[in-house]
Amino acid sequence: MTDRPGRPDRPEADDSDRFGPSTDGGERTDEPAVSRTHEGGPAGSEPDVLSGRSRRLVSLIGRYRVPIGLIVLVLFLRPLVSQPWALGFGRIAATMLIWMLFVASFNLLFGFTGLLSFGHAMFFGFGTYGVAIAVSRFSLPFVAGAVVGITFASAFGYLLGRLIVNKGEIYFAMLTLAVAQAVYFVANRNPYELTGGSNGITGTVPPWIETYRGETTVVLGGLSVDWYWAVAAVFLICALGLWQVLRSPFGRSLIAIRENEALARAMGVDTERYKIASFTMSGALAAVAGALLAISDQGAALETLGVLTSGDAVLMAVLGGVNYFFGPLAGVFVWLFAEDYLTDFEVLYFPLREFVLVSVDLSGVLEYWRFLLGGLFVVIVLLSPKDGVWGFLRGLVTRVARVGERLGGGSRER
Amino acid sequence: MNTDTDTNAKIDTDANLRRDSKAGTGTDANAIVRTDGGTDPSIGTTVGSGPSSSSPSLPERARAWLAGLSPVQQGVGLVICALAALAFVVQPGLFVDQFVGGLVYGMILVMVALGLALVLGLMGVVNFAHGALFMLGAYVAYQFVAVLGLSFWAALVLAPLAVGVVGLVMEIMVLRRLYDQEPVIGLLATFGLTLMIEELVRAIWGAAPLGFPIPAVLSGAIDLGVTQVGTFRLFIVGAAAVSVLAVYALISRTEFGLTVRAGVQDAEMSAFLGVNLPLRFTATFFLGAAIAGVGGVLQAAQFGMGTGMAQQFIILAFVVVVVGGLGSLFGSVLAGLLVGEATYLTPVILNSLASATNLAILDLQGVRGIVPFLVMIVVLLVRPRGLFGEEGFLE
Amino acid sequence: MVRVSDDSDTEGVDAEAAGTDAAIGTTTTTGTEAATSGTAASATRPTSDDSPREAAVGTVGLTRKFGEITAVDDVSLTVPRGELRAVIGPNGAGKTTLFNTVTGALSPTAGSVWLAGEEITDVPQARRPHLGLARSFQGNELFTDRTVLENVRIVVQTTQQGPFRLDLFRDAGPVGRERATELIERVGLAAELDSVARNLSHGDQRRLGIAMALATDPDVLLLDEPTSGMSPGATARTADLIEDIQETLGLTVLLIEHDVEVVLSISDRITVLDRGAVVATGPPEVVRDDPAVQDAYLGGMRENE
Repeated sequence: MTDRPGRPDRPEADDSDRFGPSTDGGERTDEPAVSRTHEGGPAGSEPDVLSGRSRRLVSLIGRYRVPIGLIVLVLFLRPLVSQPWALGFGRIAATMLIWMLFVASFNLLFGFTGLLSFGHAMFFGFGTYGVAIAVSRFSLPFVAGAVVGITFASAFGYLLGRLIVNKGEIYFAMLTLAVAQAVYFVANRNPYELTGGSNGITGTVPPWIETYRGETTVVLGGLSVDWYWAVAAVFLICALGLWQVLRSPFGRSLIAIRENEALARAMGVDTERYKIASFTMSGALAAVAGALLAISDQGAALETLGVLTSGDAVLMAVLGGVNYFFGPLAGVFVWLFAEDYLTDFEVLYFPLREFVLVSVDLSGVLEYWRFLLGGLFVVIVLLSPKDGVWGFLRGLVTRVARVGERLGGGSRER
Repeated sequence: MNTDTDTNAKIDTDANLRRDSKAGTGTDANAIVRTDGGTDPSIGTTVGSGPSSSSPSLPERARAWLAGLSPVQQGVGLVICALAALAFVVQPGLFVDQFVGGLVYGMILVMVALGLALVLGLMGVVNFAHGALFMLGAYVAYQFVAVLGLSFWAALVLAPLAVGVVGLVMEIMVLRRLYDQEPVIGLLATFGLTLMIEELVRAIWGAAPLGFPIPAVLSGAIDLGVTQVGTFRLFIVGAAAVSVLAVYALISRTEFGLTVRAGVQDAEMSAFLGVNLPLRFTATFFLGAAIAGVGGVLQAAQFGMGTGMAQQFIILAFVVVVVGGLGSLFGSVLAGLLVGEATYLTPVILNSLASATNLAILDLQGVRGIVPFLVMIVVLLVRPRGLFGEEGFLE
Repeated sequence: MVRVSDDSDTEGVDAEAAGTDAAIGTTTTTGTEAATSGTAASATRPTSDDSPREAAVGTVGLTRKFGEITAVDDVSLTVPRGELRAVIGPNGAGKTTLFNTVTGALSPTAGSVWLAGEEITDVPQARRPHLGLARSFQGNELFTDRTVLENVRIVVQTTQQGPFRLDLFRDAGPVGRERATELIERVGLAAELDSVARNLSHGDQRRLGIAMALATDPDVLLLDEPTSGMSPGATARTADLIEDIQETLGLTVLLIEHDVEVVLSISDRITVLDRGAVVATGPPEVVRDDPAVQDAYLGGMRENE
């Protein structure tokens, strides 16, 4: 530590400062892009300009940018989508957060452990059905249903993980898909009149939920809060938990497994147990999202368990960028936004109808928007399968920052 | 494409490093190999292993395979056979009817799974879009027969060719870029292609279920003594068997199959020997797509078609390939038949058992849909690599 | 970037090399018992006197088959504590498979593996590094998208925590940083601490691999062609590095190496494999003159070159 042949001129403080964020980023997700940002970005010139306190602040923001980002997301998502130029209604914001949690749980497996689960809908469904069955069939409180659903999902994930986690990525993808299909079949058979078969379960409204004109409100002890904020609280807790898992030594081991499993094992990482643990956690987290969905949708739909739900999770995560913490969240946002925006074309069509020129009827084409998304997905996978929209945005920001810096630097010189 | 798979390589070089880089294991094994190319019995075991490709005869191989099972596994097999015999005795008509049903179903599954296993074994790509190609076969046949008024026979030839061409385009435009990548990337890309094809089908033919008539020659029934069986069902079995055997022979017996298999083992060496490998891979892909197309036509003629069939059958094909063992064509064929029969016979066996023991609780109607998955889970618990899986394949 | 680092590397290693010259002498002296016993056995087939069960690392009748092919054929090895043993043989002799079987990446078809007097044949691969058995890989197996520091830290963390630990509630940031930095400096990569592993030069990647193997705190180190693809200069430096590490840490080293110069200069004894079987074992000069080795190995070498 004392003799450092390479760089005697580098002050210790500077070293650790650079380090903190960049290694944090590493733990979290952020691929070389981060270190590039830090190296190529203003880090080099800033220390001279900024005082020690603001530098510490910058480093603190860097270190905690995921929690900060999550809070910002939760605060602004609903107002944003409610804008008339956006979707025009806020109800979808809660659904978005639920899906974000679901897809983030999927990405704990795929993006951070390297296991592609093509059947993640089953865990989502365990949560949903757990709550729906408990509330609608047995009149149990919501929490009991949620606990049962989440526990079941964890146990199922653990046992299934023990069975299939060590069979290689491809096996894992095929087997999760097949098992999820089996779960779907079971739910469809309506065993003991529990799952309601293809009709699913409806009317799951706990006593503390009030709905009026499509707006769902939580009423607890005289306190009345919009359902969105209840979802937001759970989302925030879970997402922060996920973030903590990823930055912990445990998360570092997961990333090592993703990067090179054979090497990790050769270096003494019990990859099987880590993968099982990751699968279990991921399943539990998906079930939490599912439990919320049961309230949002006031029931459980069979499609929640279907292949398409699992597939959507894969699509959203890859679309958003599986290498980043915010990637899947961005993917969900883009996806659900596009779905609503494109399929409910009337929303846009109405104000535009007056202009004769704009009345090109796109609705026929946009009805098949999944075709376009499928194509976009293929292109993303071929070009850069792990970056997605979020990676693209990051690259863009980095490039803009670099250009800005160059311009700023130039003006300063002048 | 992992290491141990490569141990059957027969070309004496160390050029497999590219493939071995992932786990760094087993490299040396590749190199201790003989140069006696085609006649080496070990070639066939990884891909394209089958009754015809290896020198020991089928009965010998079967005996060796059976000897490799543990007593418990043999016992379970015997119990299942005994139960099937019981069911046959109790309800012979139903049993034979369902047996043929299982055979039809199994053959269709084999036709989907075979192309999947072929592409997976030879090129290391899991083609999720294979179910979509199967579905495309059905819809194109519908277009030919019901819309354009061509005969069923023309559709049976033309639709698979059309599907093959779609597969060709797919391979050239997308999959060719994925051969050097992790298998998961291929799975994702083909998943995207599935969505596109499904959406396209929905746009062209709509979401409602469709069907077309079968030719009059085949619309009768044949009396099998205990029951009547539709001629077309037997035709499906026959046509499927012919296609499967043809693909088999092509891969295991011909120069073409040999070079493709060699290329899988050692791309550089094959390129060195002047084999145009991309062309042969493309041809293989065409073949896999076309045979899925044949399956689609037959399935549609018998059962009709819907937009859900792509997902449904790709999942079943996955199940079949997993049960058969990744990397084994022979395993996929056998597993397809096994899954098909299990799906159709399990309800009969349960029903017979219920009436024989007077325990109504055993008669689980509607168990059928989940049987393939139960078979899969049981096989995985008992033989983790599937029936004929290779150690280390894609692990 | 790479240029600069190479320069600083050279400095670092030269400094180390100064100490290594002396070390060579020591190695020879420490290795004498081994060398003499080897000479006594006159470098032929392994005798039954060998006792793999008490050696630092050993195998008894180790066999690994791939289908019809026997990659490792009844290999019994005895590597005493502190020895630097080279394993040589033509391409396809089964050297890497031997390593894979010893480290547990492959399970043996027959035979047993011993580490410090304990049988470890059935110990899962991930446990073995924690028992003191480490390896580096022939290909550059790294966590390629992570920094040099992160690569080593992952291993340091694993070594500190054991094969599995649900360590969820703290930041991984500080874990293992000091130790990792120390090891990176030791192999002469201090200047590359924050470089992404994939951007390193080939030689630096090899060193990183060695640093990672060292991060497991090994007693026995298996190095698979640590100098392959290196320039003569880099090869010499790496050889010095290996010798230095072995010397200062008191390691037992098992080394697969193609470079004859390296093998002859740093190994205490040499085991020659051909077609999976041991052809000869003994001190370098004896093995070099063994006709069977001339036949199997040097013939093979000539063919390959």
